[in-house]
Amino acid sequence: MNIEAIKEKIRGDIGREILFFKEVSSTNTIASHLAETTAEGAVVLAESQEKGRGRLGRVWISPPGVNIHMSVLLRPKIKQRDATLLTIMSAVACANAVRRITGLDISIKWPNDLMASHRKLGGILTEIRTDAGKIPVAIIGIGLNVNIGLDAFPEDVRKIATSLKNETGRSYSREEIIAGILNEINRWYAHLNTSGGEMLLPEWKRLSSTIGKYVKVTAGDETFSGFAESIDSEGRLLLRLPSGELKRVSAGDLTVLR
Amino acid sequence: MELEELKELIELLKETDVTELQIEKEGTKVKIKREKILSHLEMAGHERAAFQEKIVAETEEEAQRLITITSPIVGTFYRSPTPEAPPFVEIGAKVVKGQVLCIVEAMKLMNEIESDIDGIVMKILVENGQPVEYGEPLFLIEPA
Repeated sequence: MNIEAIKEKIRGDIGREILFFKEVSSTNTIASHLAETTAEGAVVLAESQEKGRGRLGRVWISPPGVNIHMSVLLRPKIKQRDATLLTIMSAVACANAVRRITGLDISIKWPNDLMASHRKLGGILTEIRTDAGKIPVAIIGIGLNVNIGLDAFPEDVRKIATSLKNETGRSYSREEIIAGILNEINRWYAHLNTSGGEMLLPEWKRLSSTIGKYVKVTAGDETFSGFAESIDSEGRLLLRLPSGELKRVSAGDLTVLR
Repeated sequence: MELEELKELIELLKETDVTELQIEKEGTKVKIKREKILSHLEMAGHERAAFQEKIVAETEEEAQRLITITSPIVGTFYRSPTPEAPPFVEIGAKVVKGQVLCIVEAMKLMNEIESDIDGIVMKILVENGQPVEYGEPLFLIEPA
């Protein structure tokens, strides 16, 4: 990984400081430890990650040298009650960056999975600390499959996961993609701080592959299906149930029914 | 003594203020004892008021003593950082201000809920993995 090559392409405050690690347990954990003493916009980047985790600690298979594992430290000006807009913001930024660089039709599966041809390309997990209704620390953890071959995945994962290389047949400069994502975060994060969801929510809807579909959501021991009508001002999914009731969904695993 | 006779005696007692009766007849000894239980409803007006005041005072005292940690968002309550990991805290655990007690997740946003004070975890009010509402009480902490 060439850190200087990334820094040359950085246009804003986010990504000015990059802390590079050869191997970490998880970039979010490192960023969390450094949060008190590190400036906003700092990025923790790792060549490989021992305990890459998705929601509920699900393991993400990522050998060294092929993918992107990074965490961005932010100190958002939004109120705690709008915190879920961070999820919307990071998804919009990543999807835009990867679209622009690869030309692929990247979409967002609610709330923030990056999808290519109905398979998962990357995921984002955000951790926040709150204090008196404010968000002093937000850590946006981004994992993206770039140059990993499909043969590196176990059989059952191949049907649900993909990589940029697998989609187009070519390898990508991770430095270029990292810089692209950080520059997009810089842009959309500015929108978040100045106008909340005003610019972000319509952009998320434009990029979403969930809205207008019949979906199934599993949350805890509960499962419900319905028509994904839209998202509300906090990014919660508005699901029209067969009974006609409109349900606001704020957590759960979503499957698009095809 | 016949059963009917016994029943009659008991009925008779109910209509009086007599609480204990002992009879010896034909070599059989019968002792009937009625214990007057002073129920809450039977208390005289002033007694009831005092009693209720005491209950309210005790509840309020406990409420004032214990600090409630509530959920700042609608989401899913998790007691540990990952399913395999041990919970952040157990009942009886000593915690310090700023220590993470749990995570409430909404839309892949992990909201670390911290203790407002130094103290001891007295109650955990929600089960792991359950949905929580905005402002829903999660923990009761006794200040140190």
